[in-house]
Amino acid sequence: MFESSFMRVALLASIATSAPLSIIGVYLIIRRVVFLGLVLANAAAVGAAVAQIVGWPPEIASVVAAVATALGLALIPPPRRVSAESVIGWAYAAAAAATVLILAGTAAADADTLHLLYGNVLAVSPKHATALVLVALAVGVMHVLFGRRFLLITFDAEAAQVAGVHTRFWALCLNLSIGVAAAAAVHEIGALLTFSLLTLAPMASLLATRRMATTFAVSAAIGIAAVCGGLVAAFQLDLPPGPVSVAALVLTVPAAALVGRKKQG
Amino acid sequence: MSVPITEAATRTVVRAEGLTLGYRHRTLVRDLSFEIRSGEILGLVGPNGCGKTTLLRTILGLMKPIHGRIQRDSTLVVSYVPQRDRLDTILPITAFEVALMGRAARSGALQRPRGMDRDAARHALARVGVATLSEHLFRTLSGGQQQRVLLARALAAEPNVLVLDEPTAGMDVAGEAAVIEFLRGLNRTHGVTILIVTHVLSLVLNFATSIMLMGNGAILHGAVDEVLREDRLSELYGVPIHLGRVGGQRTLVVVSPGTLDV
Repeated sequence: MFESSFMRVALLASIATSAPLSIIGVYLIIRRVVFLGLVLANAAAVGAAVAQIVGWPPEIASVVAAVATALGLALIPPPRRVSAESVIGWAYAAAAAATVLILAGTAAADADTLHLLYGNVLAVSPKHATALVLVALAVGVMHVLFGRRFLLITFDAEAAQVAGVHTRFWALCLNLSIGVAAAAAVHEIGALLTFSLLTLAPMASLLATRRMATTFAVSAAIGIAAVCGGLVAAFQLDLPPGPVSVAALVLTVPAAALVGRKKQG
Repeated sequence: MSVPITEAATRTVVRAEGLTLGYRHRTLVRDLSFEIRSGEILGLVGPNGCGKTTLLRTILGLMKPIHGRIQRDSTLVVSYVPQRDRLDTILPITAFEVALMGRAARSGALQRPRGMDRDAARHALARVGVATLSEHLFRTLSGGQQQRVLLARALAAEPNVLVLDEPTAGMDVAGEAAVIEFLRGLNRTHGVTILIVTHVLSLVLNFATSIMLMGNGAILHGAVDEVLREDRLSELYGVPIHLGRVGGQRTLVVVSPGTLDV
């Protein structure tokens, strides 16, 4: 199966997208902002859609759109009468509608929309796979170096601020890393799988594990296994890899809940 | 924590001048000026909704006043023990890891915890009586135990100033008394300035060296006996309140009609 070079490239791209998304997604779950992942994935899709219309490189446009959205959500405080989650929901609706409306004017509107939603890891070029590996390494290094700061602001941002930690700066760094990783992934694996990796793999891991370090490691393992499994299933059964991977991730959640319950009992 | 109290007593920790506090459409406090001195145990009390938390957040630098200015001694280490139920407990971290977070601000962003940091976290857990729980997940602890772990996190930072928001919430009477006694010892032996916010007046009656009583848009700040008077408290809380002494300790009783003479 992996004799073909496109399959090897697809495998590399699968690992390079699933590992960082599954790791940084843990923060989305524990900060109770899972929809931030969906917003950033869709903001990246808006960037790619705009790029398609005006002829810009879609990868760069995706990253710019996701980073701008991450900055906006980190810096602009939500109105006092609604929760931050509501603003994220608003941003998701805006981004999703904008993607469809922007692409509606193109000749291959349906195909473009489907590609941004589901992606196609089998069509990733070696150049794009290399870029994905570089993004994964950058995000990985950032989280190895500054993971303690991210946990600190996640657990109790106010006490950290009183102690002299620049909480807004670190929240921004965290959002930016999520934005960059999501934007890089969306163009290759689609918004649906990007969101699923950001939320379902960490969710399953949090249900099954009891230590922070294990949670991150298991989340990455689940993400990689689901996406690589999807790739294999796509090859063997002639199915689209993205939805197969999402289905696998969906199934890991109840399985992890059972494991967690067994551990407790 | 190593500031000698004789030296500490001469320092001003916080100075507020002409503070107006509140939110865009609601002013809670107008033209408030006060000083908090080193070595003081200040009880910030008042009925629910009077602005205690807003004032606390302003003192801590988490909120800006609408008007006025507040100065903090930047050379002092301030630790904050928030209300336990404000924290999210999804995070699978142990009591030890929570206590270790108290050391994080002392080290750089790139620095991993050193042996001395781990020792300080363990020592802090032992001081508040939860050393045996260090490997338990924070989320599995009882409310009182979580409160002690948060106190340990604050102590691990070796603070000069300790700010506590409802620190005995969820504790039984014995746990409450133990925490208050511990804080009193910390103040006496290490000169740690303590600012305690509570809606339970009786908690600070015999503990605080000074009181800031908030309510009806006004604030009274001074010695406990000066500020806490029966008529004032009865008017503020809207129920008859009797202050007395038993065994040299101040007591507070909310009087129901006909019970005072029983």
